[in-house]
Amino acid sequence: MDKLIEQSLRALLAREGLQPKEGDLEQFSEIIELYMENLKQLHSVNLGAEELAPVFRPEWTAK
Amino acid sequence: MGIPEKPLYYLTIHEAQQLIRSRKLSPVELTSAVLDRIAAVDGKLHAFINLMAESAMQEARAAEAEIARGNWRGPMHGIPVAVKDQLDVEGAAARVRQFTQGVGDATAVRKLREAGAVLLGKLHMSSMPGPELPQPRNPWNTEHITGGSSTGSGASVAAGLCLGSLGEDTAGSIRNPSSFCGIAGLKATYGRVSRYGLAPLSWSLDHCGPMARVVEDLAHMLNAIAGHDPRDSTSGTAPVADYTGALREDIKGMTIGVPRDYIDECTQRTEPIVLKRVEQAIGELKSLGARVEEVEVPTLNLATIANAVIYYNEFWAAHKSAAAEVLKSGAAQRRARIYLGILTNSADYIQAQRVRSRVRAEFAEVFKKIDCLALPCQTGPAPLVKDVGPIDTLFKHVVPEYNGPFNLVGLPTLVIPCGFSENNLPIALQLAGKPFDEPTILRAGYTYQQHMKWYERRPAI
Repeated sequence: MDKLIEQSLRALLAREGLQPKEGDLEQFSEIIELYMENLKQLHSVNLGAEELAPVFRPEWTAK
Repeated sequence: MGIPEKPLYYLTIHEAQQLIRSRKLSPVELTSAVLDRIAAVDGKLHAFINLMAESAMQEARAAEAEIARGNWRGPMHGIPVAVKDQLDVEGAAARVRQFTQGVGDATAVRKLREAGAVLLGKLHMSSMPGPELPQPRNPWNTEHITGGSSTGSGASVAAGLCLGSLGEDTAGSIRNPSSFCGIAGLKATYGRVSRYGLAPLSWSLDHCGPMARVVEDLAHMLNAIAGHDPRDSTSGTAPVADYTGALREDIKGMTIGVPRDYIDECTQRTEPIVLKRVEQAIGELKSLGARVEEVEVPTLNLATIANAVIYYNEFWAAHKSAAAEVLKSGAAQRRARIYLGILTNSADYIQAQRVRSRVRAEFAEVFKKIDCLALPCQTGPAPLVKDVGPIDTLFKHVVPEYNGPFNLVGLPTLVIPCGFSENNLPIALQLAGKPFDEPTILRAGYTYQQHMKWYERRPAI
């Protein structure tokens, strides 16, 4: 697995008091790398400043 | 109507309800036949993880007595069904919860019970925790997988181990096994069927829905389980249609969109036989009177990865308090989702939500011109068990494919068989509709089904 991704993952897990199951990082390296690569594509689209995520509405009747 | 010339366990819900209503068939007789079928073949299929035979027979006897008194509750009365483990059942909370409490009967289960259905038990699903259970096998060829994660639902419906099942779909988990097992499956609009009592994978992507052998059975089940539920804050308030009433063998004037660019983008990963069968099915819909138009949803290529980002982040959030246990003893897919979720930051999650808004807006524009969308459901027929690793499904969830986009935007999506591969494995057509417009996709699917009659073929198990 890419060193930076592995270090990040270990640090993020440690921050939560977690550690990976033995062998998992090797077993899952391919999917983790593919996911991180495709994550970059998600940011490749120009959505403009006004394209919002679903927004909070303050009305008490709103869900 | 007389009893059709086939085993009772292969009756459709629609056939059985007519016979039960007219008292030509007893729920006890039907439930016994299905339990005998389970005893005969589930040792090969491994669909059930909790068979509730005794209570099922009690429920069947109660249904019989009630109907004999003239109180027929409706089409689901006395019909034997089974549910995916992920749904809580009183006395049998979802095992997949692992570290959280069940709620008694999930709303969809409660509604089926109120409609008089007979609950046969709970069915296997992918990534169950605890001691490893045998993996369900595809009734069309037990060397092949059922697809997941509603594994037991796919196998049991296809093989006559129940007449219908409740499944759950976060990234294709109703449609995938329905496709691989040659049955009909419906992921209704997000909010159409309550999620209350459904062990969460991803709150904003999880959909509960029916799986059955024919489209009219999905309509009967949806009539029973659809509707607003105050215990699910995401439950919709749109009026509930009469889904069986919507079934007509007529799609004249209906406009069906085909997202050709997107299918082309997935072509490299799609087996030619799937594309061929789906094209044939679209051609049949045209011959039945539909107008077919190519449409473009420009950001659809990012919908699958956006769905995955939201899925894994919400999974991580939902399981954070129990993450140590999941990483220690959870199934490989669940451990992988934790790693992927924790690796994703807030900007990624928000970007996925923004893409979700964009894709939803693009669909809204496209659906001004069309009534439903037609495309493949899977990239191939069911693969061999020996060729599928424990996290292979995740690879499909992060590259453009045919399921996740419809979880992302919550559109109702129906899958129905549209033929078979050279080695006799089912292939499915997928139809997606406007929000809460299940009637249109059910009508299109029903019309196609009645024309092609793929449902008449049954696995030789």
